[in-house]
Amino acid sequence: MSKVVTLKAFFEEARSGRLTGIRCGRCGEIAIPPKEFCPACQERAWEPVPLDGHGTIASFTVIRVPPRGRAEEAPYAVAVVKLDEGVSLLGRILDIPLDALKVGMPVRFRPLIRDEQTVVAFGPSQ
Amino acid sequence: MRRVAVIGVGVTKFGKHERTCAELFAEAAADAIQDAGVSPRAIQALYYGNVVGGEGERQLHMGPLAASVLGIPTVPTTRFETACATSHAAFRHAVMEIAAGVSDVVLVGGAERVLNLPTDAATEYFAYASDAIFEQPTGITFPGVFALIARAHMAKYGTTEEQMAHVAVKNHRHGALNPKAQFQKEITLEQVMKSAKVADPLKLYDCCPFTDGGAALVVVSEEVARKSRKPVWILSSAAASDSMFLHEKKDLSRVLATERAAQAAYRQGGRGPQDVDVVELHDCFTIAEIVATEGLGFFEPGTGGIAAEKGWTSLGGKLPVNPSGGLKAKGHPIGATGAAQVAEIVTQLRREAGPRQVDGAKVGLVHTLGGNTATVLVSLLSSE
Repeated sequence: MSKVVTLKAFFEEARSGRLTGIRCGRCGEIAIPPKEFCPACQERAWEPVPLDGHGTIASFTVIRVPPRGRAEEAPYAVAVVKLDEGVSLLGRILDIPLDALKVGMPVRFRPLIRDEQTVVAFGPSQ
Repeated sequence: MRRVAVIGVGVTKFGKHERTCAELFAEAAADAIQDAGVSPRAIQALYYGNVVGGEGERQLHMGPLAASVLGIPTVPTTRFETACATSHAAFRHAVMEIAAGVSDVVLVGGAERVLNLPTDAATEYFAYASDAIFEQPTGITFPGVFALIARAHMAKYGTTEEQMAHVAVKNHRHGALNPKAQFQKEITLEQVMKSAKVADPLKLYDCCPFTDGGAALVVVSEEVARKSRKPVWILSSAAASDSMFLHEKKDLSRVLATERAAQAAYRQGGRGPQDVDVVELHDCFTIAEIVATEGLGFFEPGTGGIAAEKGWTSLGGKLPVNPSGGLKAKGHPIGATGAAQVAEIVTQLRREAGPRQVDGAKVGLVHTLGGNTATVLVSLLSSE
């Protein structure tokens, strides 16, 4: 029986500083929820698995022309981070100087909480 | 399956317009119908593409609106939306409707109008084509998505910002030869390199503009095509997808959906990359052209930047890419782009492209990418 991790549950956990992945009960593939079938083996047998939040920057950019409502935040960095468990997440970069960012730099998950909204973010690994 | 051809094309001037999407599409469609030499009464279906009309014009139910403004209100319509690949997806479905024998004459196209909106609003609406829960809240933008791809390509292959700038210079040079282009002015490498940063490492001149415009095609069965002036035949039209989530892309330096759609189009069309004489591909950002020329099989992975730098993709080069000026200089009215790309290849294969004509072009390829690389369409067309 597949255990569904909803987006609501994922972001409630994330708000408390914890990342939740899902692992396929058949082939062991790890994914970010929500998802019904395993993209690797098409089984429907997910189990929640905690992700420890450590990873390295796979790619990043500095947004200088932001969407509406974010003018006061720019410039800011957004990165794809490859987590130690092998899955990736897109997140805002916090508390790392923009000119220090590099592909391969270790970072650690932390939530960016903005009123009701929780945003995936990453800060320094230490 | 029946053979299918394009017999009429119409494209508005690209740039800023004081007309609605439906008006822009209708002008292009009327031109396409007259170019095809068929009666408006002959149209059996309309496949209409638009992306942000809901946000920008507070307008849904756009298919019947477009048909009503065109003056063919009783034709059945369907609206398509696959982000920037919208009207190429509409084209593929029209091809299938005719190949399957359901219709003989289908009108395809699209329109977009965004220059009446503030830039930050247009940037926000375009970002709606990224995932709303994980991605939009990070503040990612479309230039940002392609900046992530650029950074990954630079880290893996040593691609340089100068190589990307060569794509912009080349496409502006081509655009200067296209009277429909938004920008008909050449630019220098230095201008690109010194332009303002938008999303590092992408600068203003690495990015295509916001554009208003419309484009339309008349797509028909072989029986109808045989009676027309210069039919251009569709060898294949293929679609592929990749995960919507940036966090699920297997390799940010590649666009896997481009590779899959290209393989399918080559297989179905019985042709390979070596058979292609002219290409219109999706250069929403300069890095996108570099990665597409690799994914379509024209250049080895990692060498697309070198190809741009050496001029291989210029008019007069070994494989002219984006003779129209591409999205970069011709402009990118997102819902119209795929149809406009097909229109350029049809014009090239009819040998009617004037100063930007690719000599001896017989087989053309059209590549259109939707959103965050999740949707790609590739079609092959031939004059024979």
